[in-house]
Amino acid sequence: MKKYREYVEKWERKIGSFLQFDPEKTKGDSNPDGVLKGIPFGVKDNIALKGFDMTCGSKILENFNCPYTATAVEQLQKAGAVAVGKMNMDEFGMGSSTDNSALAETNNPWDTSRVAGGSSGGSAAAVAAGLVPFALGSDTGGSVRQPASFCGVYGLKPTYGTVSRYGLTAYASSLETIGICGESTAITRNVFNIMRGVDVMDNTTVDYKPSGKDDTQTIAVLKIGDGDLSEEVLNSYKVSIGRIKDLGYIVSEVELPTLKFVVPAYYVIATAEASANLARFNGIRYGLAEKSAETPSDLMQMSRNAGFGDEVKLRILLGTYVLRSGFQDQYYHRAQKIRTAILGDFNRIFEEADALMLPVFPTAAFHHGSSDLTQLQQKAADLYTCSANLAGLPALAVPSTIENGLPVGVQFTAPAFEEERLFRISEKLEEIFPAQKPEGFSKEWKA
Amino acid sequence: MDKGELIKTATLAKLKLDEKEVEKLALEVSAMLENFSLMMEADIDGLEPTTQTLQQENRTRSDSPGSSNLSNDLLERVPEREDRFIVIPNVI
Repeated sequence: MKKYREYVEKWERKIGSFLQFDPEKTKGDSNPDGVLKGIPFGVKDNIALKGFDMTCGSKILENFNCPYTATAVEQLQKAGAVAVGKMNMDEFGMGSSTDNSALAETNNPWDTSRVAGGSSGGSAAAVAAGLVPFALGSDTGGSVRQPASFCGVYGLKPTYGTVSRYGLTAYASSLETIGICGESTAITRNVFNIMRGVDVMDNTTVDYKPSGKDDTQTIAVLKIGDGDLSEEVLNSYKVSIGRIKDLGYIVSEVELPTLKFVVPAYYVIATAEASANLARFNGIRYGLAEKSAETPSDLMQMSRNAGFGDEVKLRILLGTYVLRSGFQDQYYHRAQKIRTAILGDFNRIFEEADALMLPVFPTAAFHHGSSDLTQLQQKAADLYTCSANLAGLPALAVPSTIENGLPVGVQFTAPAFEEERLFRISEKLEEIFPAQKPEGFSKEWKA
Repeated sequence: MDKGELIKTATLAKLKLDEKEVEKLALEVSAMLENFSLMMEADIDGLEPTTQTLQQENRTRSDSPGSSNLSNDLLERVPEREDRFIVIPNVI
């Protein structure tokens, strides 16, 4: 245990992936004999873990001590895994860099001048640095897959409704799932199969109904236009195409005609849902409360203004605006129809193919601040990931290559409930190219 | 979006913005709305809206007390309270 603490401390001075770390605090809550016996894991700080604070990366919840544990975490504890801490994140999951955390900065273990991605940046960075073999994140528009790709680990966004969200702080309820950053395909699969299941505490959970066709013959590959991807990511994508051909899959190039509309549709729906979900933070029942307020309305307005960061305010304003009377047809209803169109695109592809390969993000990990990509460009870059959220489909980011010293991943998606298909493709690719490790990585410790 | 619209929206969202924030956010909101306007090009004739993807029907549960036993823990986290009552500033 001493060695483990030392290893984590050494890395944490450089990457800052944890908001809180205590490998012994909840040890007693884990089954001493489960299949994941003694395996440490991290929990994104918007997922409830009794005994630790749950801040969501926000000042409005900075000192909120969490009184209960999320169902997904409880399932893992029953299987023997030990939650060792809470991972840094973009405030309420809003961002692609973890730079929107109001509480700490997280750096990429491969290059600390760069971001780990987001919003589950702490989860991906900790797995990449070998601090935990897996960590839970949440994925609303790519928040598990993009940081996984930036840090060179596996990142699963499960089929919508397969993992209970009881204990996940709501951001965009029709899109988000709890997901997994893992050091290997095997552990990602194990964790998913342990976590999933119908939960009476979450009425959006669904029965798991895979087709049973777990092996893939045909992989559709998304056609990439000129300038869509950075040179590094395009190189990496071409390598992945070569590999799946070499593995014997039948490969066909496809287009997603709706792709150019998914980012605006996604942001309309996500911000609309966020504006409603974040109404609960009002300084009355929990979280930051401005003591000087003289009326209830002042209490709400002052607490929210002091507690929310810039990006959260922007999204609440956008969401409120698109739901205002007179604007709903133009924005929200139109976005929901585009959602139907993207579902149609995917359905057509999956009539011919068992899985679809597409990029994760147009660039590798970018530098802190907005010098490489502005906040608006970062949002536009969500196009390859947020489609799966709009359609409720499972999607897995798989390490693909190292380009100029930075990991790049590739993404696979499949029809609902076909996670096993994704794992099998990933396993074959892992044999050719296992997840690479950043300098300083070690497994000499024992938790 | 002009500042007046922004302030109106902020009031609905219970956000009190200062002058500097209004300036900054008006630009950012406008940039996003411009992005949203791309949706006007999409051919959505005859499409039904999708609100969720897999659940075919509303699911309800019986209206009976559960056993979460969290009420005391939650009350302990209230910023200001008297016994089991939450205190807020005077309403009138």
